[in-house]
Amino acid sequence: MGYLSAAWTVASRDISRFWKYRFWLAGQLAMNLADVFIFALVFNNIVNKAYIPDYLKFMTPGVAAIATFAAAFSIGREVGVEIRREVTQYLLSLPMSRSAFVFGRILGGALRGMIYQVSFLVLAALIVNVPTTTKALYIALTTVMLTFSMSSLAIAISTSTKDFNLQATLRALTYYILFFLSNVFYPKEVLAMRFPPQILQIVINTPVSLASDIYRWGFGYYENVDAVSKILLLLIWSLTLTTLASLAYLRNLTKQ
Amino acid sequence: MEVAVKIRKLVKRFGNTVAVDSLDLDINEGEIFGLLGPNGSGKTTTLLIISTVYKPTSGEVYVYGHDVIREGDVVRKYVGIAFQEPKALWVDKPYELLLWHARVVGYSTSEAREVVKNVMEVLGLWEHRNKYFYQLSGGTRKKVEIAKVLIQKPKIAIFDEPTAQVDVISKHALWDAIRELRTQGSTVIIATNDMFEAERMCERIAIIYKGKLKALGTVEELKDSIPEGDIVELMLDGDENTYLRAEDLLKQYGKTVRSNDSLKIFLNKGEERAIEILDLLKSRGFKIRKIMVKEPSLDDVFFYMTGAKLKEG
Ligand SMILES: Nc1ncnc2c1ncn2[C@@H]1O[C@H](COP(=O)(O)OP(=O)(O)OP(=O)(O)O)[C@@H](O)[C@H]1O
Ligand SMILES: [Mg+2]
Repeated sequence: MGYLSAAWTVASRDISRFWKYRFWLAGQLAMNLADVFIFALVFNNIVNKAYIPDYLKFMTPGVAAIATFAAAFSIGREVGVEIRREVTQYLLSLPMSRSAFVFGRILGGALRGMIYQVSFLVLAALIVNVPTTTKALYIALTTVMLTFSMSSLAIAISTSTKDFNLQATLRALTYYILFFLSNVFYPKEVLAMRFPPQILQIVINTPVSLASDIYRWGFGYYENVDAVSKILLLLIWSLTLTTLASLAYLRNLTKQ
Repeated sequence: MEVAVKIRKLVKRFGNTVAVDSLDLDINEGEIFGLLGPNGSGKTTTLLIISTVYKPTSGEVYVYGHDVIREGDVVRKYVGIAFQEPKALWVDKPYELLLWHARVVGYSTSEAREVVKNVMEVLGLWEHRNKYFYQLSGGTRKKVEIAKVLIQKPKIAIFDEPTAQVDVISKHALWDAIRELRTQGSTVIIATNDMFEAERMCERIAIIYKGKLKALGTVEELKDSIPEGDIVELMLDGDENTYLRAEDLLKQYGKTVRSNDSLKIFLNKGEERAIEILDLLKSRGFKIRKIMVKEPSLDDVFFYMTGAKLKEG
């Protein structure tokens, strides 16, 4: 089997498994969507209109970013279960190169994020604006980079320790840090009132924040966003995380 | 005769545990080779090293001349393994699991459907094809694991305790399937605790104990390798202590192996000695329930070579 077909076969396993969790996913999806509307209803009247003219339109692209991140991140749990049940031994014995295997795994997680995201992108197009072709391309690129970063991050965390509970804790911790320290719920102006400037710089430059800003720009909520530099920054994040995570995954799998 | 797997001075440590201890072994192309040893003797560890899942701590393992560490990618093309513990998640279903496996090992989608169905039918798995893994019985899970290798038809087919948990009828079906695999060109390695399985299936057997090679050869060679050709087996009235005292008394006749309800003495000229032993025991007040003189079975070779007591200490 060639490198790419091996990687694709590995990824297809993770995708079909994703489908098995479709009810769980539907629940997740419903929760994400409920978030959008509840937040929109509540905040639309509370939040200062000077900062956010229309909370629903502000929130929807951000939720697309969070949802994508969550779906891509979900592969971490399964990788963790596989390590605990030693299914990993089986995967390591299969006739393919280690790097094809690792790449396939990360690809699988990323594709899960992309599949999950489609409905949110449609929603954003309906609620905010239909993007132009160029902007659609930016949105697509952002999605690819965000999902690859998050999939590999989740996998790396899951293989960092054999202790299943510790894995779960580390994943949850990373998840919530990325979730709360982001601009998904509040724009930079509001965040600036909460966080000291140094922290603010970090918060608005995490992959999730970068992605939601690009989405907001892509769907026409924001006009003046330096999309190019944001996408470059996201690219750096993505390459760094994917490379480090692949190496960590490989090293942890083959330690014994 | 080409050597399919060559193991040299293999050592594998897990922390302070020495799982494999300076093991040397050649497995020839086309044979059915048995790895026999009590629990924890290093069978699984050795097999996982051949399959590139574990790395040796030191020493070398070659599969058709390819180093398991430096040329893992090549080695994995030759080797297929059915693990001791079936490897699946609870949400997996046998059919899709095996279909995916078939594709990974190189079948096209349509070929995969055909070969998977065939193998599943042979092993009586077809009716279970769409159950969740957690719904399957232990033996059925084990058969799914074995099906992977039968589908794969690797050059080197490894089975780690293939018939543990499997019923008698299925055992014979599995053995037939494994023999057929060899006929089609695979070299077969079987790890087992089951002497009957080893004796029936394996042309050559290695007995390992605590990671070390204790004996190697055909079943006949192994039996002949016990210098004392007969065994006197005794059953006495009494408890453990009775056997302990009897063992002390009879040590002078040869190597002894004691269990809870029997005592074996490895010696020559069994028939004559048995009468002496009988007289001696009677004179010391032992009550003898049964005495037998027999040729060593593979069981006996195993006990002899490993020096294992059924009750340690
Ligand atoms: N991953 C591991 N980590 C730590 N110790 C291990 C590991 N795998 C095996 N061992 C130890 O190595 C030794 C050999 O184990 P192994 O599983 O190879 O034995 P085995 O001959 O297959 O036994 P069994 O008949 O019970 O399957 C044992 O002492 C075991 O506890
Ligand atoms: Mg074992």
